[in-house]
Amino acid sequence: MKRLLLKVEPILWLLFGQGILIGTLLLTGWVLVLGIAAPLGVVDPISYARAHDLGASLIGRLVLLALIALPLWKGAHHMRHVFIDTGGGDRDATVAPLLYLLAAAGSLVAILAVVRL
Amino acid sequence: MSDVQKKTFVVTRFDPDRDQVPKTQSYEVPVEPDWKVLDALNFIKDHIDPTLSHRWSCRMAVCGSCGMLVNGEPKLTCKVALSSYGDTVEVAPLPNFPVIRDLVVELDGFMEKFEHVKPWIIRAKERAVEDGPMRQSPEELEEFKHFSMCINCMLCYAACPVVANEPEFLGPAAIALGHRYSLDSRDEGAGERNRIFRGEGTVFACSYANECSEVCPKNVDPAAAVNQAKLKAVIDWAAGLVLPRRAEE
Amino acid sequence: MPQHAHPEAMAPSKPGSTRTAPPLRPPQLPFAGRYRAYTLFGWTGLLYLLLGFLALRVVWALGDGKQAFDAVIASFEHPLYIAFHVLALVGVVFVGVRFFRLFPKAQPPRIGPVKPPPPAVILTALYAVWIGVTVVFAAILAGGIFA
Repeated sequence: MKRLLLKVEPILWLLFGQGILIGTLLLTGWVLVLGIAAPLGVVDPISYARAHDLGASLIGRLVLLALIALPLWKGAHHMRHVFIDTGGGDRDATVAPLLYLLAAAGSLVAILAVVRL
Repeated sequence: MSDVQKKTFVVTRFDPDRDQVPKTQSYEVPVEPDWKVLDALNFIKDHIDPTLSHRWSCRMAVCGSCGMLVNGEPKLTCKVALSSYGDTVEVAPLPNFPVIRDLVVELDGFMEKFEHVKPWIIRAKERAVEDGPMRQSPEELEEFKHFSMCINCMLCYAACPVVANEPEFLGPAAIALGHRYSLDSRDEGAGERNRIFRGEGTVFACSYANECSEVCPKNVDPAAAVNQAKLKAVIDWAAGLVLPRRAEE
Repeated sequence: MPQHAHPEAMAPSKPGSTRTAPPLRPPQLPFAGRYRAYTLFGWTGLLYLLLGFLALRVVWALGDGKQAFDAVIASFEHPLYIAFHVLALVGVVFVGVRFFRLFPKAQPPRIGPVKPPPPAVILTALYAVWIGVTVVFAAILAGGIFA
């Protein structure tokens, strides 16, 4: 498992980096409007019809996929490091694959979610 | 002598022949206004307790011997003024290193890290003496010069959260030195080092805490080197996928 | 938190001739002093995991139809969700500020013949893109543009 982790480390690191970069770019507006401003009644959230129209376009699907999947990889990778930093380094070969599996499963469902729009 | 001020030094002591675990011992030291932490340790050794062991040599932040933990922060003790501390100063050996005695840490493990990164100029074919020196422009020198200013004081290893938990991690100074050679216009070993950086003790183990750069007394910025090395290793890996023969070399 | 680092941290491959005391951890790890921001940065991983799955919930509901979508959007009016999202916004902004600060120096001086722009230019560009994307995306989500 350790060898496999070493082999895929460049991919994991790239997904993690994009999770921080693109994830942060997208999540700021997402959380601001759908999580805070709309629930507080400051703005009206996007209507279902408009959201579906935009989301089902090619660019819309890609943006939504990035919005879901990249933060998952960022989160999994960071939680792996948190685990190592709290003294779990020797169990990394067990914990890391579980975290990445969680991100991979979420990403697969995300692909399905944007395909069925 | 009116400027002399008394300070209490709480120093970590460990005698491998007698102690199971390190303990602390306090010393009252009359401190001159211009003293560094190292001056006080030397005063203790010369006038109070000759059994205290600590490493030092140049007293001018060049030799890299006197790195210790001062009030919880990794510091070169010859570089930090006592005037910046209060009445009590705690001095301990560098964390993340096995302790041989008192403030002296085991540095063989540190030296071994360097063997892995091939810190020398690698050439596909050695240049003959008749061909003259290899020339380098100031711009080419500028690309790596600050990474070559390391004095091996080990403060970066003492500050690194990854070094504390992953023994095989190559660590800041060693990766910075390897990267320094990969950036050198005279070197042809970047591909070789990229494979080392992706292997055991990988650069990807670095979680970019950036604390190595924060504590570095020579502004080497090892965190920049390690993270540049990551990107280079990824590019090299991706190029190996597109051009498989290149990866075989 | 253990007081000691990994017992093998910085150990030589062959033990020396004297017994050594095991390596200590940096005393401020994980939450004190210089490590506080770093550790919090790591823990934002949990926020991003939750935000990713919440976004998945919204997009899945979008595929289910109007009723499901409106129900998910309405569920965010619960005070606990609002509190979480305020925390999440703080976390996301913190991640952006810290990451963008560390990003420019992680660029190699040269990739092949290509030289990246100076750090100040990279940093300014990152902030410009961040603000730009946020304004446009927020306007879309608030139903303001592409109507």
